[in-house]
Amino acid sequence: MTEKTERTITCIVCPMGCEATVSMEGKKIVKVEGLACSRGEEYVVREIDAPMRDFFSTVIIEGGVVPVCPVRSTKPIPRNRIMDCSRDLARLKIAAPVRMGDTIVHNVLGLGVDLVATRNVEARSEKRR
Amino acid sequence: MTEMNEDVVVIGGGAAGLAAAIRAKETGAESVLVLDRDSELGGILPQCVHTGFGLHYFKENLTGPEYIARFVDRARALGVESKLDTMVLRLKPEKEIVAANSLDGLLTIRAKSVVLAMGCRERTRGALSIPGERPAGVFTAGTAQRLMDIEGFMPGKRVVVLGSGDVGLIVARRFAVEGAKVEAVIEILPYPGGLARNIIQCLEDFSIPLLLSHTVTAVHGAERVSGVSVAGVDEKGNLIAGTESMIPCDTLILSVGLIPENELSEEAGIILDPSTGGPVVDQHMETSIRGIFACGNAVHVHDLVDHVTETGIVAGSSAAKFALGELEPLKNRVRLRPGSGVRYVVPQVISGYQPATVYLRVRNPVRNATIRAGDITFPLRAARPAETVTLEFTEKRNEKLRGKAELEISLEEKGHVD
Repeated sequence: MTEKTERTITCIVCPMGCEATVSMEGKKIVKVEGLACSRGEEYVVREIDAPMRDFFSTVIIEGGVVPVCPVRSTKPIPRNRIMDCSRDLARLKIAAPVRMGDTIVHNVLGLGVDLVATRNVEARSEKRR
Repeated sequence: MTEMNEDVVVIGGGAAGLAAAIRAKETGAESVLVLDRDSELGGILPQCVHTGFGLHYFKENLTGPEYIARFVDRARALGVESKLDTMVLRLKPEKEIVAANSLDGLLTIRAKSVVLAMGCRERTRGALSIPGERPAGVFTAGTAQRLMDIEGFMPGKRVVVLGSGDVGLIVARRFAVEGAKVEAVIEILPYPGGLARNIIQCLEDFSIPLLLSHTVTAVHGAERVSGVSVAGVDEKGNLIAGTESMIPCDTLILSVGLIPENELSEEAGIILDPSTGGPVVDQHMETSIRGIFACGNAVHVHDLVDHVTETGIVAGSSAAKFALGELEPLKNRVRLRPGSGVRYVVPQVISGYQPATVYLRVRNPVRNATIRAGDITFPLRAARPAETVTLEFTEKRNEKLRGKAELEISLEEKGHVD
C-alpha cells in the first residue's frame, strides 16, 4: 500500500504567491489545490517531481586582475546537485585571461550542462603603470 | 586644474548611469561623460553573480556581470567617455561639477545637463545601534558579496544574517553554496522582506531557518564575533522579555536597508522626497533644478535592475534633449502624493497628458485590492512592500486628470470588483 501524504508549496510564478496543497500517494501526485492558475500547477508539479535551479558561483583565477571569476550553469541543474557542483568547482584553478562565455567546466558532473564564465578577467600585467 | 565642457555628464556608472549615457548619446548628445569612483564601470552588478537579471528588459535570464557587460560594451561602441577612480566632490546648481582623481587632479566640468545616478548605500550597524562588543566579523551584505565574488575572500564560516530583504537572502545563499553554515536569517517584521522566489531558492533550498518578528540585540566576541543574541519583538517592535537566546556564529551580516545616496543632490539644493530619500522627479526624471535629471536607486530603491535601466533611459533621453534645447516642458504638472496604504510614488510629478509610468510601493502585503488615483482605479491582485507596483497612466486614463494640480494615490483593500 502506498503512503498518502500532503505537502504545501508556495507558488512563485507571480506575486500572488498561492499556497498549493499537494496530495500525494507515495511519489505520485494525485491532487493539487489552492492555485489560481494553470501556470502555477505546472510549477508545483515540476517542483515536486524534479526541482531545477540555476547554478552560479565563482572559480579561482591565477594571474588575473581579480582572484576569482563568476561562473554560471548554461541550464538549470537538479536542486540536489548544487553542493556537488560547488565542490567540483572549488577544486579548479583557471589561468587568466578569461572571456565571458568561456567554458570553465564541460558537462559538469555528467549533467549535460556546462559552467561558463560570466565576466572577463584580464591577465595581470607585470609592468603596471 | 583641468576644465572640461560636456553636453551630458552622468554621475555614477552603474545600471542607471550607463543606460542614461547610452540613451543620451543615441538621442543626439555629442559629448557624454560618465564619472565613477570605482575602478570599473558597472556599479553593483559585477558582484551580483546570481541569475534573474534582465528577465523583463532582455527577456533573458542573466547574471549581474552579464547584464551590465551589455551596457558597458554598448556605451564604449557609442563613444561614451568615462573617468573612473574619480570622486565627484560637488555639484553646483548651475550644472558645474567639481571632481578629483589622481591623473587629472582637480576637475571642473561644465555640463549642459547632468544625470544623477549615484545609486544607494547600505545601512550600517551604526545606523541600527546594535549594542555589544566591537569584534571583527560584522559586515554589510554588499561588502560580504564583494569580498566573496570579486576579491575572493570567504568572510566567515558560521553566519547569521540580519534582515530578510533580497540582498540578505541572496548573500545567505552565496555563503551556503560556498560551504558556510548559515545559522539563521533574522527579520524584525512579521513577514519576509524579499521576494517569495528568494525565500524558497535561497533559504528553503538550503534549510536556512527564517526567524520572523525577531532581531539581534547584542553582538558578542572579543576579537572575532563569537555569537549574537536574538530576541522576539512584538507588533510595535518592542523586545519581548524572556525570549532572548544566543546563536553561536563567527559572522554577522547586515542587510537592513538601502538608502539613496544624495549628498551631492542636497548640496546642490535639489528638493528631496522624505518618503523615498531621493530627488523629487517629474516624468522626464527631471529634478527640481532644470537640466538636472536623476534615475535608478538614487531616486528610490528599486527591486529589479530592469526598472533601474528603464528610468536611466528616460533620464538620458531627457538630458540629451535638454542639452540640445529640445526638451518640451510638461503641459501641466500634477503632483502625485502617497495616500493611505502607499509608502511612496515615483515620479512625483506627471503631466496628465503624455503617457507616464508610475511606480509605487505599498506599506503592507495586500491581496485583491484597488489602487485609487482620484477617479482612476487600478485593480491590484496582490502586492508586497518588497515588490513595486507599476501604474500606467495612459492617454485615456489621463483624460480624468484635466485641471488637477494634485492627485492622491491610495490603496483600497475592500470594495474591489474583479
